[in-house]
Amino acid sequence: MASGSGPLEQFTIERLIPLHLGPIDISYTNSALFMTIVVVASTALLVLATSRAALVPGRLQSVAELAYEFVAGMVRENVGTEGMEFFPLIFSIFMFVLLGNLIGLVPYTFTFTGQIVVTFALAIFVFLLVTVVAFIRHGIHFFTFFFPKGAPIVMAPILVPIEIISYLSRPVSLGIRLFANMMAGHTMMAVFAGFTVTLGLFGFLPLAVNVALYGLEFIVAALQAYVFTILSCLYLRDAIHLH
Amino acid sequence: MSEGGPSDPLARLGERLDKARLGRDHGQNAAGSNATAPPSGLGFGFRIGVEMVAALCVGLALGWVAYRFLPAPWGVIGLIGFFFLGAGAGTLNVFRAAQGIGRQQG
Repeated sequence: MASGSGPLEQFTIERLIPLHLGPIDISYTNSALFMTIVVVASTALLVLATSRAALVPGRLQSVAELAYEFVAGMVRENVGTEGMEFFPLIFSIFMFVLLGNLIGLVPYTFTFTGQIVVTFALAIFVFLLVTVVAFIRHGIHFFTFFFPKGAPIVMAPILVPIEIISYLSRPVSLGIRLFANMMAGHTMMAVFAGFTVTLGLFGFLPLAVNVALYGLEFIVAALQAYVFTILSCLYLRDAIHLH
Repeated sequence: MSEGGPSDPLARLGERLDKARLGRDHGQNAAGSNATAPPSGLGFGFRIGVEMVAALCVGLALGWVAYRFLPAPWGVIGLIGFFFLGAGAGTLNVFRAAQGIGRQQG
């Protein structure tokens, strides 16, 4: 949490409504405000889009149908038909991350997906859910996942710890990837914006770079939401099938 | 779809839809394709790097815990051992991520 002027000032957390639960600070922050905005926006989008329920969809309904079909296809293709019971969760994760990334691109908003605690919380949640699902489905047989088929048994003492560490690194990589992409993108935009002001007459050069960066950030916002969701689907597939 | 099926065109459409859905579900029941980010681009390279770093972090975290809580020689052995295991796991992650893309292309 950096404060003061500079490219990292955009990530400061501000308490909008200070609240305390004993010693715990549960203030309503700007991060929480934008999470609320994202939830309201995605709910409104889907509710309004399906309110008409026309057979030939209008523009708004098309957007909702596209989003649904995209995520449903992703889940069906990567997890299988039995994975469709997790579709509401995967869809919620996708919309939350996507809208969080996109709304964060509007000037003066706060990008909560650029906070490691948010992305790590999402990643840990997915990881714990997937592990619990695997235990429920396979019981103790779950641990055969850490010994790939066809490997010589002599290799087991080396291979099994490596596989375990690889499995435990999944939430870390999932969380860090989203956080680092968002934070790096926004920091770069703030740095070049600073150059635009300080260079005066030649400020059009970093401005041009900033315009290109903005386009790149739109792509990265959508891509990172997609990567987060599809990796969640793949981990779910591992839990359901390959144990 | 002639005299054998129902004459109502909507019911026939329903039958064809059900058949198509069944075909799609059976096709999908085999392990689905590993569709991840395309090989070209900064995004893919970044993903590979994060996989390596994450496994190293977990290995180092376990090693630090071992160093902190195990008595004299075992703590250091744990620290070094878990570091190497973490590096091995990171390499495994990178290999798997890259192989997924290779499998998609091949």
